[in-house]
Amino acid sequence: MDTLSYLTPLFQFDVLWTIAMGTLGGLVIGALPGLTATMGVALLIPLTFSMTPVMGLNMLIGIYIGGIYGGCVSSILLRTPGTPASAATVLDGYPMAQKGQAGKALGMATIASTVGGLFAAVVLATLAPQLASVALEFGAPEYFALALFGLTIIASLSGDLLKGAISGLLGILIACVGADPISGVMRYTFGVNGFASGFAFTPALIGLFALSEVFTQLERLHLSETPISHVANRWPSMKEMKESASALLRGSIIGTFIGIVPGTGSGTASWISYNEARRSSKTPEKFGTGYAPGVAATESANNAVCASALIPLLALGVPGDVVTAVLMGGLMIQGLAPGPMLFQTNPDVVVGIFGGTFIATIFMFIFGMALIPLFSKILMVPRRMLTISIVIFCFIGSFSINLNPIDLYTMVGFGVLGWGMQKFGFSQAALCIALILGPMMESNLRRGLLQTGDDVIAFVSGPITLLFLGLTVLSLLWPLISRARSKSNA
Amino acid sequence: MKTSTSTSTLALAAAAIMMTGMASAADFPARPIQVVVPYSAGGSTDLSLRVFADVFEKKFEGKQFVVRNQPGGGGAIGTSAAVHGRPDGYTVGAAAQGPIAIKPHIGGTDYEVDNFAFVGLFARSLQVLVACKDAPFSDYDAFIEYAKSKKPQVGNSGAGGANQISAEAFAAAAGIKIESIPFEGSSKARTACIGGHIDAMVASPAEAKAASEAGQMVPLFVMEDKRIDLFPDTPTAVEKGVDFTWSSWKGLIAPKNTPADQLAWLREATKAVATDPAFVQKMTDMGEFVTYEDAETFEKRVRKDSDVSRKVLEELGMLGMNK
Repeated sequence: MDTLSYLTPLFQFDVLWTIAMGTLGGLVIGALPGLTATMGVALLIPLTFSMTPVMGLNMLIGIYIGGIYGGCVSSILLRTPGTPASAATVLDGYPMAQKGQAGKALGMATIASTVGGLFAAVVLATLAPQLASVALEFGAPEYFALALFGLTIIASLSGDLLKGAISGLLGILIACVGADPISGVMRYTFGVNGFASGFAFTPALIGLFALSEVFTQLERLHLSETPISHVANRWPSMKEMKESASALLRGSIIGTFIGIVPGTGSGTASWISYNEARRSSKTPEKFGTGYAPGVAATESANNAVCASALIPLLALGVPGDVVTAVLMGGLMIQGLAPGPMLFQTNPDVVVGIFGGTFIATIFMFIFGMALIPLFSKILMVPRRMLTISIVIFCFIGSFSINLNPIDLYTMVGFGVLGWGMQKFGFSQAALCIALILGPMMESNLRRGLLQTGDDVIAFVSGPITLLFLGLTVLSLLWPLISRARSKSNA
Repeated sequence: MKTSTSTSTLALAAAAIMMTGMASAADFPARPIQVVVPYSAGGSTDLSLRVFADVFEKKFEGKQFVVRNQPGGGGAIGTSAAVHGRPDGYTVGAAAQGPIAIKPHIGGTDYEVDNFAFVGLFARSLQVLVACKDAPFSDYDAFIEYAKSKKPQVGNSGAGGANQISAEAFAAAAGIKIESIPFEGSSKARTACIGGHIDAMVASPAEAKAASEAGQMVPLFVMEDKRIDLFPDTPTAVEKGVDFTWSSWKGLIAPKNTPADQLAWLREATKAVATDPAFVQKMTDMGEFVTYEDAETFEKRVRKDSDVSRKVLEELGMLGMNK
């Protein structure tokens, strides 16, 4: 077996050590709000110049996998998504921590990330070329329909449909700020040059979820501080694992699928997965209240994206998301052109990457589980000190991405907005999902209409488009359908 | 005898440099030099500058060259930061075509070509127009023939970006019409191209090479005045009788008032790095076309690109659109 012999270079001490350090480094980067996996990979690329391709690329993949996973830590403990990929984890992870189940939430997130990661790694190693060509069928109309389907999450995220819709529309309106994606003309920038490319996403997210929480906490500071119960248990119970099993499986599949489609990312995947888990659950009302399957759904999906986004990159030379676009740079520096030819010219590299993805995921599991007690200690810090540190993290995190002072205003602005929304019962999550999917929907709608010469029928007639449009309608009608079903059962 | 003369001449020259340069120039750079990359980390401009920094620090031991990313506004924000930085030689900017030669014509920039001091060019990104999967043409002549009856859909990396300008400038020079389809970044355009959702796009030789070997793209013509080694069988537009060349570039710029001594040092250093074999090797591996142009030649190139862009944008009705 020639192919398996390509795996041996992976099991040398220095290679394993490099992957482990990459994964651990990624985990820390991901856990710090504002430092994203993309940034970690980009900044460490120069380190790989002198490494062998398999060693260097697997270190970067370790950072990627560790980074996407690490985002859950601050989502759960601080209500601050460490990376955009784990914004949806806030929904159930943070309430779990508030209930004194921080350890369990982190444990569930770690297990879910591992399951998602391994599932996608298996798919990567077995089906990469075949799946990648399916993903290429996605043109503008298909992306539009996928984004539209994703947006229906808003309906189920918010108890109050009207308020949810308002939040979503506000998100879409905010996403319009900046250069028009098709003509390049500036919209709603009010002459402020810093807004030319729109609001920076991560600072907006930090403000929306983290700073807003600080404001809410400040209002309650005069109330007596509730001591956080001891966080000891990191293993979810058998019952919770059973409850979460279908969410885990769905999340892994959804994450893998979304990762394969180039141009979508782990943020999209975790939101869609969350919605599907909730919709198919027998107890949807428990979602958002600190329910373990909610964490399982989002974390399995976002880590599945890591491995599956490598599929179009390796098989077609088309990066699946931002991080893999940076990884592509890493491959090219090694003198390797990603694409179908890579499988023939450098099978050792391809197999080495497959193997490295598995190894990095295992390391992620070990480090994650081992560090949970340490992470959870954050909650033992007195509330006032923690609040101050969160504010400092918000500012550092928002500024460190682009070193652009405008991003600080963005963060504070979204913080006030998020605080107000929370106060009056508007869904911050709905706004967040609109910020991710709105631009994708708009640019693909307009690009598609440009390409079909404004022929709407031609635009919607593709089979994949029709499938997603059908799912969209189904998703919107689901509350009616399930009500009708429960009535007929009764 | 001869040796001693040259030694003393050297010593004299060194002394002269010390005297005229005074403390500031002789010690330059005493602190890390900071280069503002107007894009986020990981893109080709960013990676090039990181390779540049790597080689720089090996070549000039003890001196530091720090990459700082300041993305946004299609590169306008970082470029503005570089041009309005303190003119002491410690702030330089990564010069990219979009924000320097194109953006000022569209608007939304607080600088123009005249505001820069040019340091040097160290790489050019050559461009190839390629036919995408299932395109109704597979060579230059068929492409032109097709364009006479129907507008081919040509994908680009963004509205008003370098790719759109080059495709439209070619169309104008060749007397054909095209339908420009903007994407968010060139990698998305490439996905659409390989998937057969557009007819053609402008690609770099490196990606066009890999993709054409895999049967995903067919090169139509090279935007140089001579054929390139990577595509010996692909014609240039020039040899087909269309006076059109285009490439984007990577170089360094500095604020206008940077003192002459510091500027001279930076120019020499750029030349030293750009011609270093290790730099050339690493960049070539990344698919870049490494070439050095001194400040004067570089400036000429920038001004020419700027003029071409202005004309194209005027045709498209995008001139001053965002002013």
